[in-house]
Amino acid sequence: MKYVIIGAGVAGVTAAETVRKIDSDGEIVLIGKEQFLPYKRYLLTEFFCGTISKEQLFSLSCEDLKRLKITFRKGQLAKSVDFENKKVKLFHNETVSYDKLLIATGGKPRIGPALRSFEKNLQLYYSLEDILLIKEKLDSVRTCVVFGQGLSTLDLMAGLKNLKKEVIYITKKPRAFFPLLQSNSDVDVHQFLSEKGVKIITNDRPVSVEKRDDKFIVETFNGEKLTADLVFAWDDYRPNIRFLENTKIDRKIGILVNEQLRTSVEDVYAAGDCAEIYHPKIKNYWINFGYPNAIEQGETAGKNMTGLNENYRIRETLVFHVLGKPFEARWWE
Amino acid sequence: MKHKELSIRFCGIAGDGVVSSGKILAGTVASIGLFVMVNDIYSAEIRGLGKSTTTVRFSGKKIHSMGDGVDLLVGMAGKESISELVEVKSGGAVIYESSEPGELVEGESLAGHIPPDVRGYAVPLKRLANEASGSNRGRNIVAIGALCYMYSLPPEIFINHITKLFQRKGESVVENNVKAFRLGYDYCQENYPLREEFDLPAAGEAKKLISGNEAVARGAMNCGLQIYAGYPITPATKIMEYCAKDLPPLGGWTIQVEDEIAAISTVVGSWFAGKRAMTATSGPGLALMSEMINLAVMAEIPAVIVDVQRGGPSTGLPTKVEQSDLNIALYGGAGDSPRVVMAPADSEESYSGIQLAFDLAEKYQTPVIFLSDLFLGQRIETAILKEKIDRNRSTRKKATAEDLKNYVRYQLTDDGVSPWIVPGESGAFYTVTGLEHNLQGNPNYEAEVHQSMTEKRHRKFESMIQDIPPADVIGDEDAAIGIASWGSTIGAILEGMEIAREKGVKSKLIKSIMIHPQHEESFRRFFDSCQRIIVAEMNFQGQYAALLKSRYGIKPVEMHLPAVNPVSPKAIAQKIMEVNDELTQ
Repeated sequence: MKYVIIGAGVAGVTAAETVRKIDSDGEIVLIGKEQFLPYKRYLLTEFFCGTISKEQLFSLSCEDLKRLKITFRKGQLAKSVDFENKKVKLFHNETVSYDKLLIATGGKPRIGPALRSFEKNLQLYYSLEDILLIKEKLDSVRTCVVFGQGLSTLDLMAGLKNLKKEVIYITKKPRAFFPLLQSNSDVDVHQFLSEKGVKIITNDRPVSVEKRDDKFIVETFNGEKLTADLVFAWDDYRPNIRFLENTKIDRKIGILVNEQLRTSVEDVYAAGDCAEIYHPKIKNYWINFGYPNAIEQGETAGKNMTGLNENYRIRETLVFHVLGKPFEARWWE
Repeated sequence: MKHKELSIRFCGIAGDGVVSSGKILAGTVASIGLFVMVNDIYSAEIRGLGKSTTTVRFSGKKIHSMGDGVDLLVGMAGKESISELVEVKSGGAVIYESSEPGELVEGESLAGHIPPDVRGYAVPLKRLANEASGSNRGRNIVAIGALCYMYSLPPEIFINHITKLFQRKGESVVENNVKAFRLGYDYCQENYPLREEFDLPAAGEAKKLISGNEAVARGAMNCGLQIYAGYPITPATKIMEYCAKDLPPLGGWTIQVEDEIAAISTVVGSWFAGKRAMTATSGPGLALMSEMINLAVMAEIPAVIVDVQRGGPSTGLPTKVEQSDLNIALYGGAGDSPRVVMAPADSEESYSGIQLAFDLAEKYQTPVIFLSDLFLGQRIETAILKEKIDRNRSTRKKATAEDLKNYVRYQLTDDGVSPWIVPGESGAFYTVTGLEHNLQGNPNYEAEVHQSMTEKRHRKFESMIQDIPPADVIGDEDAAIGIASWGSTIGAILEGMEIAREKGVKSKLIKSIMIHPQHEESFRRFFDSCQRIIVAEMNFQGQYAALLKSRYGIKPVEMHLPAVNPVSPKAIAQKIMEVNDELTQ
């Protein structure tokens, strides 16, 4: 049996480990687009703030991969999948055949049309590569402009404040707002961020980001002109499944899967932030984001790829911490 | 990560521009004063059909060897490059082609074999080359652009070098190549922004690049080479090519003869006529030359024979290195047949050493076998040559008016060297023969004559000591571990000693371009100062160790290093550490 897993994040790695526990002889190929060993994305902010080392980020070492007999195709991007012939086509035109396929490509930040022409002046905060690039510049960074609504934006601002950087946050809304649960209603995030020293610009959005010498000049819709050393901006997170365009696999925002994480295509599974899982209570699909869920999904998908038939139990909420404060959230954006 | 040095290997097949990639990269970094060494490896079969590699190692510090492993592998030909992956250091990188038009079969692509501790960079080399010039030809330049970004090297030095290099081919060729470079650079900048750094020292004076073979040819021509006679053989042919191009304009002759016997015969004949002459060959050719070299010993006619050693015996391994011709060089002749044997360690010594070879050959009327090897002969390195052109140089012991009153060709002298006149010079006639002879050169088989002539032929080697350089001792004087080696292995030893020193283990090396004769006193002193001696060389038998054991009575730890590839400095360091462990137990 040959198991191919696209995506070396938490879900993909957990699935690979799970498969190996059950099937000691099967061939496992793990495809990761980044130039690193599999790492724990949820620890990136801790690495960014220097509370853990780079080595502590990695979830599998070269020795682990060897011991688990996992062929790791590092830095290789899946270009498309030929479901008819059970082949994954990679960016460099090599095809990898599979008997069972798991798609665990996660999500990625998306820059909307308004800012797309300034993309090269924007800094993302998503991958280890992003963090390493930011770290290279960090000493000369004093002021950062942040624009975005997702929880990762909150996470980034926490990191920047920990590193004693000046943060200017721009939101389209009248107050800083994040998709938190009602259970956090005792916390006013806007006030909380202000108290932590974040300058918040409300009811506004950046319309241009130009580079001038070593600085970036951000102009907003309301005519504000801000000078920053780094500008972080993205509109939302989306499942990273563009390579499945023009394929027959069922998808909406993400890949649609049932409770066993099976997709509409036989022998193909999806897990993690790229999967929209059927929720029997609401009778609809939703993305059950966050790393504890990704681990569980990876485990369920891994088991089911080997022939078991286990259901994934959807978690309703996720708890995370920002600047020492616990928050509960449900939605991933 | 900041690299103090980088080792980059290009691997491809015919038309991939592997060799020119190495030359461009080496030429560029040498132009800003870095030290470089380049080594090409190709198959023995007709060149162009098989796989070939070029490795370029450069640093702000002097480079003595190709080191261990490579930091970057550029796989111009994917399938053929798979076997090179073992050479990529942990944490190193691979650039592979991502724009092959057809579907690549799983397992036959380079990307599919990259180990997890190595980064793989997919770069559409062919697509970008086509974008630059409308053909695939510039894909090596695209790759150079890519690596320039990857290691944060300044692009302008490459653009300057590419411009100079292609200038004579016309403006559009320069433009296409600069564009190909830019596209490779920009592609990596956009797709792989996270890059490593090379610790670039302040720009220094441009350094010259030279191969061991070229250094030999230039050294010989600059000190008065008049006639080069040779028969092509890998890896010595380049010497003939340099002489063919550059010797005739200097008034000399380069002759390609029908075989190696004719080549050495031409050389001995030329010297007999008083002309500085040289041939270059490899092991099989030296074997063919043995009888004629013996004639030169017996008739006391100089000869300079360069042996660029390759793997043997017989035709052996034409494109792989080995230091296994020492025995034939020292002993490859019938009778008591002394000859000078020299072995340079690098291009600088190849240049200066060949001039010494001519001087010794002429002054002491003896053949000199100059043992280079494939690695030294073919590799290109930055070298500082003390170039001085002296085409009229002569060390011949000429006959004085007194000598000419009653001239005998083989006059017995204290230093064993007889005054020598050549045909055409007035004053005397004499016989030259391979038979044992008397003072006049006439055949004579009497025991006393044979004894005195044999002594005379050997006495020259004692006198020669005054004209040979003393052995060099390098390293920590107070070290208990001493190393002796010869030829191109010296480079790896110097770097191996440095690795061991960084781990706290001291050692020292004795090296001499002279294999025979040697400054025996300096060797004895060195060996006496060591508690343990390592003799390292690239052959199976331990040929140099055998010589040193018989000459100095030492009992060394012998390293008979596997030939085929240049010696690994790490292997040397490992041995030093092992010997140190034994000593300290």
